Amino acid sequence: MQKLGDFKVPQFFNYPPYFTLQPVRETREKQIQLWKDLILDYCRTQKIFVIGLEEEFPLFSNPVIERSLSHEAREAFLSALVSEGRAEWMDKGHRKCLILWHRIQDWADIILGFVKDNGLEDSVMTVEEIRSGTECRGTELQGMDRTILMRALKLLEQKGKLAIFKGTSADDEGVKFSI
Amino acid sequence: MRRRPGIGGLQSAAAARDQYRLLGENVAKVRTDLLKEQLATFRSQLEEFARKHKNDIRKNPAFRSQFHEMCAKVGVDPLASNKGFWAELLGIGDFYYELGVQIVEICLATRPHNGGLVNLQELCNMLHQRRKSDREAVSEDDCLRAISKLKMLGSGFEVISVGKRKLVRSVPTELNKDHNEILELSQAQGFVTVDEVERRLSWTSGRATDALDTLLEEGLAMIDNGHRDGRCRYWFPCASSISPVVGADS
Repeated sequence: MQKLGDFKVPQFFNYPPYFTLQPVRETREKQIQLWKDLILDYCRTQKIFVIGLEEEFPLFSNPVIERSLSHEAREAFLSALVSEGRAEWMDKGHRKCLILWHRIQDWADIILGFVKDNGLEDSVMTVEEIRSGTECRGTELQGMDRTILMRALKLLEQKGKLAIFKGTSADDEGVKFSI
Repeated sequence: MRRRPGIGGLQSAAAARDQYRLLGENVAKVRTDLLKEQLATFRSQLEEFARKHKNDIRKNPAFRSQFHEMCAKVGVDPLASNKGFWAELLGIGDFYYELGVQIVEICLATRPHNGGLVNLQELCNMLHQRRKSDREAVSEDDCLRAISKLKMLGSGFEVISVGKRKLVRSVPTELNKDHNEILELSQAQGFVTVDEVERRLSWTSGRATDALDTLLEEGLAMIDNGHRDGRCRYWFPCASSISPVVGADS
């Protein structure tokens, strides 16, 4: 089976018509479903958080069968993810898309778990430490997208689990947990 | 001088008719009895044969298909009922019912991809994958038999011949001759173009696009605009061996 790095691509990826947006509604729905699953799977395993529609992206073309997705098709697949809450457009022109293979709520739960595992229930951390400090090594938080991290932290702030305070620059935003 | 018909003549004619009828009935009865006896002997021989070769019938698909052929000739259907001699002796009914269920499952699982039309050979391959743990081998003939039993359920399962290949249809789509010809054409490369259909089948362009549109609507074909030559290709998943992996859990 064909691979992208260490990622096993599904068989439909080698079938040319899946790279053309299908005109018949039912067939298109099945096609979109397959692509949605593929995009989420790929991003999860490769830790990809942002897809640029106009940029090179391994899933958007398959040199083996000489096919690539049109802009329209890319937008259709990502829009389907957006409508399910598994992705968000980062700009009005739909050029960049944030992929949420964990929903914001799930990320928030992961952060809570991380805090409890490390006994940080009422300590202070910088936002940067959460995604790149020593404690997060080997966890899903390591290297996670900052935008998503901030969104999850804000959600937790609303629930009263922590307080975000601002420093003088963007990198020293801090978090005081109070779980 | 001509004799006029009298009462005596009529009576004797009626009596003769009766005699003939009686004789005829007798002959017919003797014949049927003889035939019945022959058939009974044959059946009991067949049963004995089945008993003797029970294991061969179970394990060897070629032997099994020949046995079925023989049964059909004497009017015995080992699959007609799950009760009675045949089922108890061979367990053959269960074998085909199980196969039938697995075929339905595979057809349903691959339907999103192929629109409900699957190559018989591919179906067999998927069955093999699924039945890995079973000792008993399965042949195409077994699949055909299992599918013919499914037909009774009225669920629209049917085997259609397209060129040299056989396709199993699990959706109640009516395919006309035009569609079948296109399907046959597609078996070579897995796809066709409008040009190709017009050229190879000498059709007008309207006829070709019309038939292709129906096949698209039915989910049996998918379009592909991505080739370098810019011609739209109509792909037929049932003509390619690419299909989503069917879950091995069963």
